[in-house]
Formats: sequence, structure tokens, C-alpha cells
Amino acid sequence: MAKKRKGGKPATKTPGPAPMASGAATKPAATKPAAGRRPDKAPVVVPLRAPEPTFWFGFDVAWAKLVVVRVVLFGLLAIDAVLQIRHAPRYGAGGFNVAQIPGLDALGPSRATYEIVQLVSAYLFVLAALGVATRWVLPVVTSLYAWMYFTSQLDGYQHHYLVALVLGISCFVPWQRRPDAEPATPVRTWAVRLILVQLAILYLWAAISKMNGAWLDGRTLANQITGPLRSLVDSSVGIKAAAKFAIFAEITLALTVWVRPAWFIALPLGLLFHTGILLSGLEIGLFAWLMLAMYLLVVPDRAFIWVAEQPPIARLRRALARLPLEGDVATGVAVLGGTTLGIVLAMLCRLDHAFTMAIALGIVPIVLVAARRLRGQRGGAVVGIAHLAAILVWVTVDRASTVATDYYRFWGGSSRRLGDLESSERAYRRLAEIQPDDGQGHFQLGRLLLKRGEEAEGLAELQRAQTEEPARARAYVAEAEYLASKGRTAEALEKARAATHAEPDSQPAQQLLDSMTKPNQPNQFKRPDAPLDDDHE
Amino acid sequence: MPSLLRWLARTPHLGALLSTWRGRAIALFVAVQLALPILYFTRKDPHDERFAWRMFSPMRMAHCVPTATLNDTPFNLGGEFHEAWLELAQRGRFRVIEAMGARLCKEHPNTTVRISIDCVYLDREPRSYGGYDMCMVPEL
Repeated sequence: MAKKRKGGKPATKTPGPAPMASGAATKPAATKPAAGRRPDKAPVVVPLRAPEPTFWFGFDVAWAKLVVVRVVLFGLLAIDAVLQIRHAPRYGAGGFNVAQIPGLDALGPSRATYEIVQLVSAYLFVLAALGVATRWVLPVVTSLYAWMYFTSQLDGYQHHYLVALVLGISCFVPWQRRPDAEPATPVRTWAVRLILVQLAILYLWAAISKMNGAWLDGRTLANQITGPLRSLVDSSVGIKAAAKFAIFAEITLALTVWVRPAWFIALPLGLLFHTGILLSGLEIGLFAWLMLAMYLLVVPDRAFIWVAEQPPIARLRRALARLPLEGDVATGVAVLGGTTLGIVLAMLCRLDHAFTMAIALGIVPIVLVAARRLRGQRGGAVVGIAHLAAILVWVTVDRASTVATDYYRFWGGSSRRLGDLESSERAYRRLAEIQPDDGQGHFQLGRLLLKRGEEAEGLAELQRAQTEEPARARAYVAEAEYLASKGRTAEALEKARAATHAEPDSQPAQQLLDSMTKPNQPNQFKRPDAPLDDDHE
Repeated sequence: MPSLLRWLARTPHLGALLSTWRGRAIALFVAVQLALPILYFTRKDPHDERFAWRMFSPMRMAHCVPTATLNDTPFNLGGEFHEAWLELAQRGRFRVIEAMGARLCKEHPNTTVRISIDCVYLDREPRSYGGYDMCMVPEL
């Protein structure tokens, strides 16, 4: 086991694994035996001296830690990329865009390109998480992420900016496994140090932004946090003390997160702070989880090494190492099987372009294996496995969340409000198709069809919506309004009554019934339609 | 400036860092990241906190009500722009509101397009911006 070096001091001749990124010289014992205790003929690995300044170029982390960070960080980003697809309908809506950087407005993504790029990003993040071709995959996915972020102010929050920066830096981290890497093998990487310094800069400026009366007296925090954290704060230290603690925590993290000897302070404080944000009820998606994932970098290396050397994990590592993944047959089966199964699996994904993209991305494993061959390397079965895993992530996230239904709902809603009824109809048809037992798609589709004069189909859709959501009045109200506008008063009245029976508290239903039964009621059919809609983002 | 760089290069740690291209790139990145948030204090738009790490700041709590008129007739921005853009307008983002004005001026030539936002803040007095013809004065 290598002696731990502290504070970025240069490595001296210490027995143990040499840092990988800077190479290592292995040579027979040429130095004097230390107190005559060195085993005979054991080679002494002499790590190369790190170039100055060692603060940057002598910084290393254990291979076990790097693997865990890679899997967790890129795994989370893959999930986040699929979840972001629900925002795709914003992009290009109404042909309007404002970029983060002036002059790039015209380069912003459209709904379709945003969805496709997020699918591709999720795919590439999974490949990176599994350590496949990270030197190629990360620059590509970083470019895609930066393109989406910098060409539109939609979803342009601070955490998207941070992810763009961290991705850019992580292109320089040696994520890929060297053949001789063991859990304790130190990997020399200035880029990980830079990520930590970047976090420190973030905390510093975040603390500065809070140094004013409106934050210190608790007003700002009181307006932002809800949920269990709010109850906890109110019943314990109070909001004012919590606001001051936030500044204290950010300044302390700014001072400690990038200095290895101070990690014992940064780790518990950072975890507490970001868990607090997670519980605060703020709608920031997976960002708090991403920050928690970055704190893996601050966990002492020996914790990862200890876990990796526990018998069950060690057995698993040995079993994985013994898998015959380097043979031609295994590679062929994995690549062909992975791409074929990927296409089959993608049929289960309800997102707009998932199936087409699964076919298109089938070329990736083939290209990556061919590139290995051209470099004189064999194997590459893991590429086929990673391909399949990536498509599995699409399907799993889709099926385990409302991302697909939200996507079509928001698409239909925004198109309808912006006057693109054809596009709206397409979205609602697809929504009704993927979720036939939900009234939303049928209701909106029915209204659109009636507006276009397709009476039979429109009424059928509204009646289907009434069946699927028997406790909601809106489909009855819409049908009653349509029938009344066509002079079919008796049928309209029957539907208006049905609406009040379905949802007795519905104000639109009651208003409609009153207007039909009490002739002096004004604005019979001209109520705002907002109460009937729930397709807003 | 060259003398400052020479002085920096002579400092022990920084000198070594600036002696390689990789080190210079790291130094530049860190310097830019440290300095970029200062831009916030130079912007004319106090609501625009991008690239400044001002998460959860009091300004985040600003709420603005955008209103638009075309030839003094009220105009529904929701029928022209996606609600996500309206949300940014409600946060007072000048660049978004100015782009909305430019778009309306382009779509409705020879029309007076007025957009204004009335903002309330946690840490300062309410304030209104705009209200003039954005086709004549395209900036808030």
C-alpha cells in the first residue's frame, strides 16, 4: 500500500502503486533496503516526481474513487438528460429564442433537435459511466451540452452552467482503466483538483451574493424553502439563524473543498448543506443529487479502497475481470446482440425519436470496435453491453417517470396556445395513444377536433375522456358547450347536468348549468378556458 | 500588463504554473472563473444573475409583471411567446423582454409596441421599466 501523500507534496520513493497519469518507473531494488525489512527480489516502484506545481500536477486520487465518481456522476447526468426531454416543447416554440451569448439566437435547438440531443447525451453519458471511450465520448457530450446551454436561456440556470463547466474539465480526467489498475492505484489528475477549485469559486460567490440585509434577516430564505426542511428549521434554529448558517457553510466550503487536509470539514458540511437543499422543496431537478455526487471526490480515498477490498466486492471484481470479453466471438455477440436488442428495447420507449435514434446509434459500437481494431487492440464486448445499457436507461427513465406524457402534454399545450393547431393535434393524438386510459389526451384532442369541425370524432374523444376521468367535469362541459353552440339544447343540458354530477365543486360546470337553466346569466359560453386546461408547464 | 505578467511569473508557485501551456490554461480558467461574477455588478440589468453563482439571492425573489400594448391596445404575450419565456420575463430578464419587443416590432411594422415590467423586490423599492415604444428605443 502506498504511503499517503498529504498536501500535494511531491512523491518520494515509496513502495506501492505509482500514479498512472504521469507514468511510473518500475525497476529492481536499487536503493538501500529500509532497515533490512524489504522482501527479497520485490520490485520497488518509484513514482516519477510530479512536475511543479505539485498542487495541480501532483494531485492524485485512488482508482477506486475515480471509478465510483465516474459511474455515479455520469449515471446521474444520463438520467437527468432523459428527464430534461419534458422541456423539449419549449425549444423553438413560436420561432422565438434568446441565447445566453448574443449572436447565437439562431443556433438554438428546436423541440425535435433538443429531444434527439438529450437522447444522444444520455446515451453518451452511459458510455462514459461505464468507461467506454471516454476520451472521445466526453468531448462530444460536453459539446452537445454546451450547445444546448449556451444557445438558449431556456433552462439556463446556474446549475446547468456548472454542469457545462464540470463536463469541460472532466474531459481531461483519465477516466479509462489502465490494464494494471488496482483499487489503490493513484491516478494523477490535475483536472479533478480543478473541479474542486471550481466548486470553491462557486461557494465563494454564492456566499458573497447573500451578504445583504434581505438574506441575513431570513426574508429571502423564508420565501424559498418549503417542505420538511422548512418545518425543521422553524421548529429548531429559526429561519434567521439558518440564513446565517448558509453563508457560514458556503464560506467554509469555499475554503476547504479543494484542500485535501481540510476534507474532514468539507465532507460532512457539504453533505449536510446539499441534503438540506434537497429537502428544501426547490425545483432544481437532480442538481442537489449531482452536487452530492461531486462530494464523492472529497471522501477519503481509503474509504473507496476499503470498500473495493471487501470480500464480496473483491470477488465481484475478480469475476468481472475473468469474463471473456476480449475474444472476437464475445465481441461480435455483444455488439450485434447489443445493437439488435437495443432496437427491440427502444420500441418500448415512448419518446418521440427514441426508436429512430436507437437504430442510428447502432453504428456507435461498430465504429468503436473498428477503431480498437485499427489501433491493434482486440476485444470491445463492453461497448455492445454499454450500448444496450444506454438504451435501457432511456426506457427505464421513461417508464418510471412522467417524462413522455409531460413531453406530449406540454407540446400539445404550447402549440395550441401559440396557434399551431396541427402540431398540437399531433401531440395530443400521440398522448392519447401512449396513455389511452388517461383523459388528458382524449379531452384536448376532442376539443381540437370539434374546433376543426370534425364532430363525430371530436365528440367520441370527449366521451372517451368522460369515461377515463369520471370525476372531472371538463369533458362534459366541453361537450355541453359544443352541443349548445349547435342548438342541441336538450342534449347540452343533459351533459351540463352530468358535469355537475361528475364534479360537484367544479365552478365552470356550475356556471354552465346556471347559464342554461337561468336565462339571465351573462357570458353563457365565454368563460376563460384556463380552468379546463392542465397542459401548462 | 507585461510587467504584471513578469511579476506573476516570478512568484514561486505561479511561476511554475505559468511555465507550461497546460499550467497557463489552468491559471486562465481559474482567473476567468474568479472574475466573471464581477460582471454582474457592471450589468444594467440587476435581474440578470447568469454566470455569477448568485443562487437563491434576494434578486431571485424579484417578481415582475410584464404588460404589452400594440398601438395602445393590450396585447396578450402568452399568445405569442412560450410560457417559459414569459417566466423569464416575470423574473425581469431585460434581454428576453427586449427580444420580445424586437420580435413584435418586426411582426407588426408601423406599430407602437410598448412593453413594460412592474417589479417588486424583497430588498428594494418596487420599480417599473420600459413603457415606451420599443421599436424606437429597443432597450429597457
